[in-house]
Amino acid sequence: MTREELQTEICSIFRRQFDIHDPGPDDDLQDMHGFDSIDAIELLIELEKVLDVSLSQETKKDAMLHIRTVNQICDYVQELMPRQQAPNQDALHQ
Amino acid sequence: MDRRVVITSGALITPIGDSKETIVENLHNGVSGVKPLREDDLLSDYIHSRVYGTVDYPIEYDFARKYRKTMGPVSYYACRVVGELLAKAGLDREFISSGRLGVAFGSTHGSPSVQRKIYRTFFHQDSSDSGSGGIGAVDYLKSMVHTTAVNITKMFNITGRVISSSTACTTSSQSIGYGYEMVKYGMQDAMVCGGADEYDTTTVAVFDNLLACSTAYNDRPHLTPRPFDADRDGLVVGEGAGAILLEEYEFAKNRGANIIGEVIGFSCNNNGGDLILPNLEGICQTIRLGLQSAGIGPQEVDFVSAHATATKMGDIIESQAIEKIYGNSPAVTALKSYMGHTMASCGAIETILTLYMMEKGFIAPTLNLEHVDSRCAGINHVRHLTYDPIHTAAVQNFAFGGVNTNLIVKAFSP
Repeated sequence: MTREELQTEICSIFRRQFDIHDPGPDDDLQDMHGFDSIDAIELLIELEKVLDVSLSQETKKDAMLHIRTVNQICDYVQELMPRQQAPNQDALHQ
Repeated sequence: MDRRVVITSGALITPIGDSKETIVENLHNGVSGVKPLREDDLLSDYIHSRVYGTVDYPIEYDFARKYRKTMGPVSYYACRVVGELLAKAGLDREFISSGRLGVAFGSTHGSPSVQRKIYRTFFHQDSSDSGSGGIGAVDYLKSMVHTTAVNITKMFNITGRVISSSTACTTSSQSIGYGYEMVKYGMQDAMVCGGADEYDTTTVAVFDNLLACSTAYNDRPHLTPRPFDADRDGLVVGEGAGAILLEEYEFAKNRGANIIGEVIGFSCNNNGGDLILPNLEGICQTIRLGLQSAGIGPQEVDFVSAHATATKMGDIIESQAIEKIYGNSPAVTALKSYMGHTMASCGAIETILTLYMMEKGFIAPTLNLEHVDSRCAGINHVRHLTYDPIHTAAVQNFAFGGVNTNLIVKAFSP
């Protein structure tokens, strides 16, 4: 998945799941769109489904600190994906 | 510090409508909101009672997702009635968030449809609904016992006290009563009070298993429940929501609020024994305590909204209690005959219907009361629409667990 495809997919999730339409890539999602910690948890659950991965509690806690913009979410997913090549690899480290 | 507590707004969702005009019209015309039980792909096939007090008209919700995300259906109902309540009342935003406005609101057990989704995870361990076998991140917020109260505080930014009674059939009468005490004793200047319950077959199944549900009128739902009637055969579960706004009198007067009634007394006690069976002495005592709280004698009450669920024993004991305290003077109506037993919301709904009748100058009869059970005959049943005025009314509710309440409301007079 290219960066552009990933960004499109994430914006689709925002539209579908969070009623947030076309957020700018560097918009502060919390300040500008009311995207709060509950939303962040639900986004991670949605990403697990879309990307077919299973994230550990530690990974999720770490992600919660770093996903304030769409660009940061893309960075996070791109960093995550190589580590997720083996199914559920992350979960094995719990 | 005892302060006068007035009612300045009310809002409803009931099986006979959600606007005052529709509800009053249906009370006038004897229209029942009891319909066939809806299928739920789980319990409905096993339940003997096939009737339900149903909200089957469309309800508009325009809640932003940031509010919706923590709501089950019961909180949609609650926030819908409270939104209407606050809009009608015209309280300013500064007061709403001042800490002087509180919320007393509850439901029987949070959101049963969300709880049902959680329980499914025990039986479908391969569920891919979420990372934790189908349990969503906000399912607790949607299903916890105080979900209605705190979704209300969130949506309307209310920062005062929160009381969330969850005492089955006395949930919202307790909400009003405890809200009344908050304002009367100066702890809050105003309280949003009420209760809600969503469509739920587990409640039907519980009463069905206790042999307390109506089953003989499954093919003619509008003929049941039949409170006080010789041919009654049990209660009908229903859904709905009711909210009222209580304000301290001087505060309401100074802001020019439209005062629609006054709460002058409240009582709540427990039978101190069996958790299910009605108890004559317990009910008599809550009626006495309510009158004592209001500082009036029984002769001053001209209307009693009976709890009257149409169970065999409940109606007899309640009739005996009313007769013992009031004699056969006040008019008695069983408002559940129009919509079934709306559980956590019934106290608020019956209070607001009483206020509507007070305002419009009529008393609706008990529906389906064709042949009064001789054991319930010692009281003044309203059997036909009458245009007698209601000056002072008692709203009685009783719940599993032996909890009894009595609210005394009065037509407003400065």
